[in-house]
Amino acid sequence: MKSEKLRIALKNRKFKVGVAIIVFFALFALIGPLVTPFDQLGYYPVKLHKMLLLKRSTPNLPPMSHDVIYAPGREINVTHYLGTDSFGRDLYAQVVYGLRNSLIVGLIGGGIATFVGLTIGFLAGYRGGWTDEILMMITNIMLVIPTMALLIIIAAYMSTRGVIIESIIIGLTAWPWTARAIRAQTLSLKNREFVHLAKLAGLSDLKIIIGEILPNITSYVFMVFILQFGGAILAAIGLDFIGLGPTRGISLGIILQNAVLWNAINLGYWWWAIPPGLIIALFITGLYFVNIGLEEVFNPRLRRE
Amino acid sequence: MLSGIRRYLIRKTFVYVLTFFSAVTIDWLIPRLMPGNPISIMMSRFASLPEASKYMYSYFMESFGLDKPLWVQYINFWKAVLHGDLGISTYMYPKPVADIIKDALPYDIAILLPAITLSWIVGNWLGAIAGKNKKLDSFLMPVFYFLTASPYFWFAIVLAYILGAKLDLLPISGAYSYGIMPSLSLEFIVDFLKHWILPFLSLFLVMLGGWAIGMRNMIIYEVEADYVRYLEALGASEKTLMKHAFRNAILPQVTGLALQLGTMVAGALTTEIVFSYPGIGYILMQGILNQDYFLIQGCFLVIVISVLVANFIIDLLYAVIDPRVRFSFTEGE
Amino acid sequence: MRRILGLLLAVLIVSSLGGFAGYAQAEELPRNETLYVGGGLWSPPTNFNPLNPSPVTGTVGLLYETLFTYDPLKDQLKPWLAEEGKWINDNTYEVKLREDLKWQDGKPLTAEDVKFTFEIARKHKGVFFSNIWSWLKEVKVVDDRTVDFVFSDPHYTEWNYWLYMIPIIPKHIWEKIDNPVDYANNENPVGSGMYKLYKTDQMRCIWVRNDNWWGIKYFGKPAPKYIVYVIVYSNNVALTMLVKGDLDWSNFFIPGVPDVKSKYKIVTWYDKPPYHLSANLALLFLNDNKTPFNNPDFRRAIAYAINPKEIAQRASQNQVLPADPSGLLPLPSHQKIKAEDLIKKYGWSYDPEKANEILDKLGYKDVNGDGFREYPDGKPMRFTIIVPYGWTDWMEMARIISDQLAAVGIRVDPKFPDFGKYWDDITKGTFDMAINNFGSFISITPWTFYNWILDPNVAPTGEPTYGGNWGRYKNPEVAELLTEIARTKTLEEAKPLYRKLQEIWLKEVPYIPLIYNGAWYEASPAHWTNWPSEKNPYAYPITWHNYWQLGGALVLLKIKPVTAGGGATTPAKTTESAKGSTTPSPTSKDKGLCGPAALVALSLVPIVLYRRRR
Repeated sequence: MKSEKLRIALKNRKFKVGVAIIVFFALFALIGPLVTPFDQLGYYPVKLHKMLLLKRSTPNLPPMSHDVIYAPGREINVTHYLGTDSFGRDLYAQVVYGLRNSLIVGLIGGGIATFVGLTIGFLAGYRGGWTDEILMMITNIMLVIPTMALLIIIAAYMSTRGVIIESIIIGLTAWPWTARAIRAQTLSLKNREFVHLAKLAGLSDLKIIIGEILPNITSYVFMVFILQFGGAILAAIGLDFIGLGPTRGISLGIILQNAVLWNAINLGYWWWAIPPGLIIALFITGLYFVNIGLEEVFNPRLRRE
Repeated sequence: MLSGIRRYLIRKTFVYVLTFFSAVTIDWLIPRLMPGNPISIMMSRFASLPEASKYMYSYFMESFGLDKPLWVQYINFWKAVLHGDLGISTYMYPKPVADIIKDALPYDIAILLPAITLSWIVGNWLGAIAGKNKKLDSFLMPVFYFLTASPYFWFAIVLAYILGAKLDLLPISGAYSYGIMPSLSLEFIVDFLKHWILPFLSLFLVMLGGWAIGMRNMIIYEVEADYVRYLEALGASEKTLMKHAFRNAILPQVTGLALQLGTMVAGALTTEIVFSYPGIGYILMQGILNQDYFLIQGCFLVIVISVLVANFIIDLLYAVIDPRVRFSFTEGE
Repeated sequence: MRRILGLLLAVLIVSSLGGFAGYAQAEELPRNETLYVGGGLWSPPTNFNPLNPSPVTGTVGLLYETLFTYDPLKDQLKPWLAEEGKWINDNTYEVKLREDLKWQDGKPLTAEDVKFTFEIARKHKGVFFSNIWSWLKEVKVVDDRTVDFVFSDPHYTEWNYWLYMIPIIPKHIWEKIDNPVDYANNENPVGSGMYKLYKTDQMRCIWVRNDNWWGIKYFGKPAPKYIVYVIVYSNNVALTMLVKGDLDWSNFFIPGVPDVKSKYKIVTWYDKPPYHLSANLALLFLNDNKTPFNNPDFRRAIAYAINPKEIAQRASQNQVLPADPSGLLPLPSHQKIKAEDLIKKYGWSYDPEKANEILDKLGYKDVNGDGFREYPDGKPMRFTIIVPYGWTDWMEMARIISDQLAAVGIRVDPKFPDFGKYWDDITKGTFDMAINNFGSFISITPWTFYNWILDPNVAPTGEPTYGGNWGRYKNPEVAELLTEIARTKTLEEAKPLYRKLQEIWLKEVPYIPLIYNGAWYEASPAHWTNWPSEKNPYAYPITWHNYWQLGGALVLLKIKPVTAGGGATTPAKTTESAKGSTTPSPTSKDKGLCGPAALVALSLVPIVLYRRRR
């Protein structure tokens, strides 16, 4: 059964394209940093008696420029694949590390959101009654508390925040939609015959959830995760752009924020403002392709090929 | 059955009121848990002599009632809210919060309402077309996905760059020219629309992708549904088939629309920043960064109300329309 | 169903557009009589109360006026509302007002108004100059044009500062207001100034020239009929507007101005780096209460390790000047008291070797060989430097400082908390190192700078203080000197005291000057000319709040429109320019009727779209 699904999946063009895009960018985020001598902020770290000095290149170089970095006692030739920003920092390095962080946010944030949403949605949908009302109330409260406010207060206590904190916050605020969707699924499933039968057979709630309902929505959950993955990345990039992103480290949103702050567009430094957004848009497109591809696999009715 | 719905309504209303109070309380508490206070931040904007600052600090602490214990502030907050008073902003001192919201919100509505509704209409339309036409679908679908995968503000930057800066076709800042006075004249309206197009377009296109995809998937799902096959076998025309499919597919889209409209009052922050467009989003962010308790809680109150109203409407719709859900609510009676 | 939806939509669109139709007539401000300014307004304009410390820029200077103005380029206090002012005895300062002063509503501005302005601050502690009353005894009206200020403890030096900071308000209006501190004053405010508030909305604040200004016979008439002060959130937009000629006068820090300056003929004060005059000083604050920063030698070592030149170049694109050890601004008021000989004797310059030497001598050595020094007792030494998140140039400064200190073996991690947390930390003194500049603005006396940065009345660590002595540097001698300087009558009298202050500053190194932040100024020659610059230095060209009376207002009096048709001096030209605008003419009414029609037409689009789908 599984292998057959896989076989269908591998035949599905959308799935293949999506996976190709995702794998490409994932590899890029994994291997990309290895081929650049610059650190994540785009500085060139030079060792001097065991201390690291951060060296900068010439500002505003276009992509594929060569430059010389003067370190104590030597000169280093470097190539900037994506040019440099107005502080002379390498943009290729910023982009690959930024992408890596975006993927981390997506995985952790999306993962948390899916898990929490799944649990709450299940419970609310299956148990119904007051459990449902209370859980949905919590869900609604979460929906109406803006993420921004939570971020700021947490930030205030941490004084600085990293990518992990950001992903956790996004995860903990993004689950309500999933919870609602899962609840709706569970609601309609629990009135199907097989659940009634299981109930009549005297199976416990847990057994019914795990044995009867869950298998029916595994594929759905996986697809929800993919959407949450993309959603978390987009949420993070938006927060970064308005200046509420990680205060240390880099992200694609921060690169874009800096590009706008330092007039990259007006001054013609397109390599600063275009690539980060394009990469994100392409990557998430890839995610959606996988999502729709899978949907077609699990749901033969949707197949068009 | 009717009494079931009535009971359901009572229960819902109770839950919604409870949600409202908890959410507003949390939103009230959040800024107050941060270190520092709004008056202190106010002082950072006053370049004055140290001694003068000291006088003003104690004055403003008292005049904003922040020298009182937290629970007194909380009671005062509800008292004021019930009188329709949202307090005075510290960030935009001495403007009342209600006025700030009233002045800024129309701009967000002017952009977001058309962007959401039009993208919903066009998106559903295109999505339906893609859903029934396989050839068009293979071409349209990737475009939809790319649109919905783009960050709003990045799309805005690209549009501003190409249409604004490079081709110089459209203005890229403000809601109308800085030198024109608002009026109902053709000249002003044209000017307003020129400024409106880019921010509108950036939101419209990105949103469009999302709606279109939702519709497309729903249509495909419906078209392949058993009852449609059955109707097809009975020899119903394609038009009739599509009509049925569309009618069923539109329901979840309506839900989405209601929710989107509910969150509209939070503004379109990143778009506002890129185009220097006036609106509540930017003001609210500045309020948060300036720890303006009154502005934050005022804006949140409005957001909470509107999101809850949208949710409530959807709940009602579902209870009325979807028999399975209704059964689930009234079961065991 | 669909038709209803479409109709609903139409109504919604019409009403959302119609929301702005608060005004009946179409009106476009004539370009050649309108000046577009930006850089001092960051939120929709709401507050025009001059008694408040941060009203909309222009409230003081354009709308309300001060007795004197101050020219930081020539370091002169110039009479404005006042004709002259002098000390008639040790405790009494007498101000003689100009003749024929009047408010914008036509009522005369008299000594009673001046007295009232000060009295209001006595009653209301929230008025920004109310602390004056701890040394002012009374304000006496001698005659309509003469006021005597009688002091209990005259702070002669400080008084000079207040003379050009306190805006005079009309008694006949403000005496009716119950709480003058909370009063927004945004409906037809009446001042005495050369501009009246015309209109405000979410994007701008518009001022219109007061053609009955009392000052025309003394100063001439300002050229722009309208001033549109724009709100712009991003540099991006500011630069675009500037190069297109849509923004005439910018006081934004705009990255990239050096790159596009010549292409678009943008005027800056200097044609070469640093391009701008200086406005204030950014310093590296050290927490002087904490070990090892409580040791002046340690602080000196840090000063030696820091290279302000690199900071100016890398973090601010050479748009600022590196600071010298005294921290005194390169403007006459500060330069006059600067003691070069003391700087030579006790000062420092970038010299990492020297820093290493001092640190070694103090016993801070790298014992464990990790490249960083440890405390003499072997414990690891590690500090943080804080800068508000999002202040990108300062963030870059913090990183450069961290590097420069790493080069001498001091480990400093740059941290970027949100502004609220940053402000909390520096006001409460709970930081290691921080960058700040808030109260170091240029003023008539360096006393304001020293009084800010060495403020002796700081609260203990953990409680907020709002002077600028964030690191809680304590020195009884400094406290004494500051009180004395505030009471000196002449500069000659103050000079030796300033020397002593500088000696302490240089010897003790309480904080380390980094760069002189610029008085950002970029002007477009597209519509207005005769902008001030190094070659034509007639005014300090800044329009931020409290800077109009430092030179901003003078610029308005001197700039000229580019087009021959413009200009405000002859009435004939005004009619000419009216052709270009749509101000109340019969045609605009027709257009007014077209408007709703266009809206209805527009709202039909969705309906059409809907029908086509069937």
